[in-house]
Amino acid sequence: MVEPVSTKAQLDREFAELYRTHARDLYSYAYYRVGNHHDAEDLTEQTFLQAYRHFERAQRESDGRPLRPWLLRIAHNLAANHYRYRSRRPQTTLDDNSPLEAVHSTEELVAGRDELARVLDAVKRLPDDRREALIMRFALGMDNREIARAIGRSDGATKVLIHRAIKQLEGVMALAEAGG
Amino acid sequence: MHDEERPSGVEPLLERLFAPVEPPERLGARVEARLQSISQLAADELDGWELAAMRDPRNWVRPALAVLGGSAAAAGLVLLGLQRRHRAGRHDDSHSSAQAGGGSGR
Repeated sequence: MVEPVSTKAQLDREFAELYRTHARDLYSYAYYRVGNHHDAEDLTEQTFLQAYRHFERAQRESDGRPLRPWLLRIAHNLAANHYRYRSRRPQTTLDDNSPLEAVHSTEELVAGRDELARVLDAVKRLPDDRREALIMRFALGMDNREIARAIGRSDGATKVLIHRAIKQLEGVMALAEAGG
Repeated sequence: MHDEERPSGVEPLLERLFAPVEPPERLGARVEARLQSISQLAADELDGWELAAMRDPRNWVRPALAVLGGSAAAAGLVLLGLQRRHRAGRHDDSHSSAQAGGGSGR
């Protein structure tokens, strides 16, 4: 009789720990993904609500592996739904409302930091999946295996995805430099 | 490990570009409030359930799910509430200990 209660209490404590540990990662991902604080809060909130619903099973099946990719997978799917919904209701494009520009002030981008401005411009032109992989790599510091689990691709496909994203950025940067 | 790609000039720029973003303080409270509303909906569903309908076993699934959803959400409330109280307690502790000129917090 006592054991299930203590197990439940332990589960709740572990979920609280999960929240504390990953709230910033989830929010960073959401922010760079959806482009504004309002939607980022919604996405982060929905992610944790879904996570709580399936937390016990996720723990059981994780076999001791970190749960961050699982959380990001939830957020990834919710963000995809968000974009599907928005595509049916034409509003502003990502380019009109870039979270990257919001984070980096015009001053920072202009005042002798041409490289940052160029890479910002190049990132905005990346296909969605490449940009998402870069968010996970550089905003969250995830490795290829974690990213692969989060976006539902193989390790190899993820490695290629990131490699191509970086190559594409380097190409755009080189062209910009050559062009003056 | 990030040994799959050689470091390039772009990568340090990407690290600067994708600086982590702190969630707003209110986010924890928002999650807690949503869990509370789910819990309340589940309770309302049980309140509104007519006992007569319970004679048919086919109708047992819905209230059972409401109970499960409600208890799960309520538990979530507790854990996030504890987190906030813990934080508030720490704040109070530090505030009071600063006023008292020290003391041991938990």
